[in-house]
Amino acid sequence: MADLMEQIEERIAAPRLSIFNHKGGVGKTTLTVNLAFALAAKGHQVLLVDSDPQCNLTSYLIEDTVVNDLLDKSDGENGQTVWSALKPVVEGTGQAELLEPIAVSTRIHLIPGDVRLAEFEAELGTLWSECFQRKVRGFRGTSALSAVVNAAASTVNADVVLYDTGPNIGPLNRIILLDCDYFMVPAACDLFSIRAMKTLGHTLSSWISDWKTISDLAPSNLYVLPGLPKPIGYIPQRFRLYNSTAASASAKWLPQIEKTFRADLLRVLERVDESLAGHAPSPLSLGAIPDFGSRASEAQREGVPLWRASYGTGVQRSAAKHYFFKLADSIIERAELGSL
Amino acid sequence: MTDSQELSVEEAAFIDSLVDHYREHELGRAERLADALLRLAADRSLRPHIHSLKMRAKDPEHLRDKLRRKLIKCKVEGSEFVITKANLFAKVNDLAGIRILHLHTAQFPTINQILKQLLQSEEYEIIEGPKARIWDAEYAGIFEGYGIQTESNSRLYTSVHYIVATGNREVRTAEIQVRTLAEELWGEVDHTLNYPHPTVITTCQEQIKVLARVTSSCTRLVDSIFLANQAGAPKA
Repeated sequence: MADLMEQIEERIAAPRLSIFNHKGGVGKTTLTVNLAFALAAKGHQVLLVDSDPQCNLTSYLIEDTVVNDLLDKSDGENGQTVWSALKPVVEGTGQAELLEPIAVSTRIHLIPGDVRLAEFEAELGTLWSECFQRKVRGFRGTSALSAVVNAAASTVNADVVLYDTGPNIGPLNRIILLDCDYFMVPAACDLFSIRAMKTLGHTLSSWISDWKTISDLAPSNLYVLPGLPKPIGYIPQRFRLYNSTAASASAKWLPQIEKTFRADLLRVLERVDESLAGHAPSPLSLGAIPDFGSRASEAQREGVPLWRASYGTGVQRSAAKHYFFKLADSIIERAELGSL
Repeated sequence: MTDSQELSVEEAAFIDSLVDHYREHELGRAERLADALLRLAADRSLRPHIHSLKMRAKDPEHLRDKLRRKLIKCKVEGSEFVITKANLFAKVNDLAGIRILHLHTAQFPTINQILKQLLQSEEYEIIEGPKARIWDAEYAGIFEGYGIQTESNSRLYTSVHYIVATGNREVRTAEIQVRTLAEELWGEVDHTLNYPHPTVITTCQEQIKVLARVTSSCTRLVDSIFLANQAGAPKA
């Protein structure tokens, strides 16, 4: 199989984004899928990367029997999941391998997730230390997923890449965030989401500054992670609507989310690197996403975006479409995706 | 002492700003780079051929003296002093350094070969050397026989130097020295007495020169012992 690391001469232009928050249950996967469909509807070629060992994104988009089959075969010769591509790195038999993404629609492709991605994550601790020791193995290992994504995005001519991440601040999410050009933070309207944002700011700033230290001594002819994920805003999630405006119980959290995002995330990251500033104009919110209740799980069961789910009324469907298309527009603008 | 041999207040302040920059921003990197090279040289493949390893990041005060001397030299020669904060780590090659010590000279060709392979495997670029600094004519011949460039030096020591670079956007360099244990003794005595400022005690100056000759003889004797030992070893 082709050696990916030798092939990478340059990083492809398609911006890489992730919807990141280590607090679980904020609807990251629903958001990612609907956003991908909205971006595709606007003409973008989207590559989705299921980089959560829980495989929620893959389960959303691919039928259960097919997912089972993918996971059964992922360890073999012609495996098709993210694990199949990364396995040689974990087992020390070689570099990451080329992976053909699965077509979800004409404009959406998916790199399927795998529970065994957890094994790659376990290896990342060692690889990270090896980067600190300026070892080539560490640099190759930490950029292996990035290399897989690079090749896949190039194969499908993607102009935007969306990572779906698990709800934690572990070593896998660290390399994913350091590979991203932009990220946004989903925040539920509650106290815990706000608290989580503070941890997120500190965690990300230490990741970025550690990576700066690491890449200072990196060899010039190796492909290394860019390490500068720019925050483009937050997404208030799952708030209750009342006559199309946020109900007071949810709305009272909005100024607090805005304030915390600015003070504990934006400012903290800007201190680490000035280039991280200025990508999230005021208001910092990218667009709020209301609570769709049981319609979200119904859409997930059908594997379609909310506005195509058979459950719910026509008015509800067009409202869902409205919210996600508006969100897509803000992201297109702030992540400089260019209109098509 | 002429004016050109002293630093103006502005010049001294500039040197101080370089040293402060080094202490605050580059010293940690120099330590990490030296540590990375030490780990590399500690590889199993090199271990049977060497005695021990040493590493260090340059002491900021020693850097201050070095930069002052360089600036004065530039003034005397009328040349430009080109070191800035941005290129400090590329222009001063010994901010990070390791030393590889071995017993006898015949080990050097193998050490050189393995070291080069190790450097290549971790993507270090050798930007200068190996260059042997030698004052003894017999040893100049030996190292030339190994295909190593030699450079005579008036300070009476024998040591092989490499300058390696990390690459990346900002090039950072480090020095690797390879020498025998006997040479290390002379080097340590010389360093303690003459660095950063040469001793003014004539007797010490004299005796250090004599020690260099004894050291050279000592290396020569060790080389001879190992040569004899090898020649006398029963054939397998």
